[in-house]
Amino acid sequence: MNMKNNPHKNTSLKKSDQENHINVACIGNPNCGKTTLFNALTGAKLKVANWPGVTVERVEGEAVYEDTRITLVDTPGIYSLTCYTIEEKVTRQCAMDDDIDVIINVVDASSLERNLYLTLQLLELGKPIVLALNMMDVVKERGMEIDMHRLPEMLGDIPVVPVSAAKRTGLDILLHAVIHHYEEGMEEYILDYPEEIESKIAKLEAMMAAQYPNHSAVRWHAIKLLEDDEEVKQDHPLSVVNIVDRSYEKEIIQSKYAYIEKVVGETLFHKGKKAASTDKIDRLLTHSVWGIPVFLAVMCIVFFLTFTVGDALKGIFETGLAFVSEGVAAVLEGLGVAEWLKSLMVDGIIAGVGGILTFLPNIFILFLALAILEDSGYMARVAYVMDSVMGKVGLSGKAFLPMILGFGCTVPAIMATRALETEHDRRKTMLVTPFMSCSARLPVYVLFSDMFFGDYAVIAAFSMYVIGMLIAIFSARVINRLENGRRAANESLLIELPEYKRPNARTIRIYVWNKVKDYLSKAGTTIFIASIIIWFVLNFGMTGKVENPADSFGAVVGRMLVPVLAPAGLGMWQIGVALLSGVSAKEVVVASFAVLFGVANANSDAGMAVIVENIHSMYPGFGPLNAYCLMLFCLLYVPCVATVATVRKESGSWKFTVGMLTFQLILAWSVAVIVFQVGGMFL
Amino acid sequence: MTLYEAQKGNSYCIKGLYVEPAITRRLEALGLNDGTIINVLNRKKHGALIVRVRGTRLALGKHISSNIEISEYQEETVDEHEK
Repeated sequence: MNMKNNPHKNTSLKKSDQENHINVACIGNPNCGKTTLFNALTGAKLKVANWPGVTVERVEGEAVYEDTRITLVDTPGIYSLTCYTIEEKVTRQCAMDDDIDVIINVVDASSLERNLYLTLQLLELGKPIVLALNMMDVVKERGMEIDMHRLPEMLGDIPVVPVSAAKRTGLDILLHAVIHHYEEGMEEYILDYPEEIESKIAKLEAMMAAQYPNHSAVRWHAIKLLEDDEEVKQDHPLSVVNIVDRSYEKEIIQSKYAYIEKVVGETLFHKGKKAASTDKIDRLLTHSVWGIPVFLAVMCIVFFLTFTVGDALKGIFETGLAFVSEGVAAVLEGLGVAEWLKSLMVDGIIAGVGGILTFLPNIFILFLALAILEDSGYMARVAYVMDSVMGKVGLSGKAFLPMILGFGCTVPAIMATRALETEHDRRKTMLVTPFMSCSARLPVYVLFSDMFFGDYAVIAAFSMYVIGMLIAIFSARVINRLENGRRAANESLLIELPEYKRPNARTIRIYVWNKVKDYLSKAGTTIFIASIIIWFVLNFGMTGKVENPADSFGAVVGRMLVPVLAPAGLGMWQIGVALLSGVSAKEVVVASFAVLFGVANANSDAGMAVIVENIHSMYPGFGPLNAYCLMLFCLLYVPCVATVATVRKESGSWKFTVGMLTFQLILAWSVAVIVFQVGGMFL
Repeated sequence: MTLYEAQKGNSYCIKGLYVEPAITRRLEALGLNDGTIINVLNRKKHGALIVRVRGTRLALGKHISSNIEISEYQEETVDEHEK
């Protein structure tokens, strides 16, 4: 056996031993509630949302039932055990993993017909399968009924357990079934293909058994060979030319669906009573004319709330921060601590980290709004609504989903491109996603628009989101032009639209808390360290500790950037330092201004006044146009290191990553220069 | 006729899939096979459409819909009449 190519072996799962430990995988269609179930069983807090493609990697967790330890694996949702997308490959590899003892097939009971297709494929693997019939509440709501005796019968007597992952019911019964079924062993397979195919399967099974005696899923492999599956042909080469004269995939699929129709016909009652509320909502939200305006209005509301409600809440943080800052200064004074250490603590760390913390209310509101959008079921509609726009730039509407996630954070957005069908689409989407303003750029916009735009601050900040989106779409269009539409055929939208539902409080809480935690830990790590480094480079120079920051190392480096930044109206060495340090994380742009001017709270009226005064003393003409160019530059220039690392990992290419960075730098500089030069003629 | 020419609100019967093999297989796995009944829920003038097939809702782009061959399906309206 060729061990190198064997996908069963390159896994981190511990082999289950005799001491009551089993490995269980949750497998199912996209959006059927696998992750909700996984969270409920393991107490994990993974992100859940109501659109297909939220989970992109396998995740492990632990559960204990009676005296058995269960390692659960959550997998990306798939419709079929083929291997066209990355998600399918990840899940398929997990399903075939020899160390997986039992598979929980999570099934959305409200769309049984489509979900059972994967079930039939999983049954062919010959592993113990337990069917978790999720969303039974939806089934009841619609007045449908499922025959719980006939269904398991028709699926080869596998345990079928109704659960509600969201309401956490049926979980113990499910775990009990998993353990019991594991000890009991597996069942006979129930679906017979047409005679011609069955005889070929029998021949292939015999050949497989002869050549690979230790193979555990012989029937599955035989069927996959008949489907002309590339991966199977590579893993277990077999000379089958005389048997597999063509691909029998179509017939195999149709036999499966014919069987499913029989199952559904015998087990599902009152199908027609379906509540049509989703269709009613869709009439407006996916309207052929109003769809796009509605989407833009929704995004408008999200950002309006982010700026206004967030700003209203930030007063509390301001008082708290001022209190801490003064308190620490007083205590340090009292202890007689050296002046430099006091400066590091107060002007460096508290100014840098604290200034960023005051933006937490804005971040909180932004993620709350995004969480509600994602959990309601609207996201998948956006892919449909934006399909025509994206079609013009050579991408499918589905590519717009990672871009919206980019409003939150670019790193998960880049990961989400995995749901796209082709590598080409993925790269193109990765290239433009950083132009969607992430939450880290929010503090920069809030600070500079508040300082220079007065009553128009919200508009100035909001315009960054619109410009970012337009530039993303425009760059995709330019790339498409350069490619001369040679890939035009690939831009095919294909996405499932889930039912709308009332956002689940628990789901939203987990989502928002995860984001807030990320933000806080970023403040405590990246921004903390960056603040110390910035404080150091601004307070030390060739002569040691310097009194005037203009003699510091920072100033030396910043001055080198002045000639480059001057045409964009940003010819200040402090801006050079801020932009350079902003590569660690975009919030650091704000933190570095705070450290530069020794402002305890950059996000307060007093703090802003100090910054404006300082900027004016060094750059007398610095006005709204300069501030706007600075915001534009922050929007467009190279993303943070975390994003760069993710792009490198996901694209697997340094060349692509470096190319992307170059493109973004050139674009940021050109746009800022053009806006400053042209704007200067009018103002 | 192709699915791209389908009218909103009508039901059709799939006659054949003529998209690239990879997409065809994805569609087949989703349950769009020859003879499957498909109901058009919503559509844009020159673009994507939303269909109901086997109890789920799918959005299909123009490229896919214009390569699915369909025929009119006279609904026996079993499902709808039960209301």
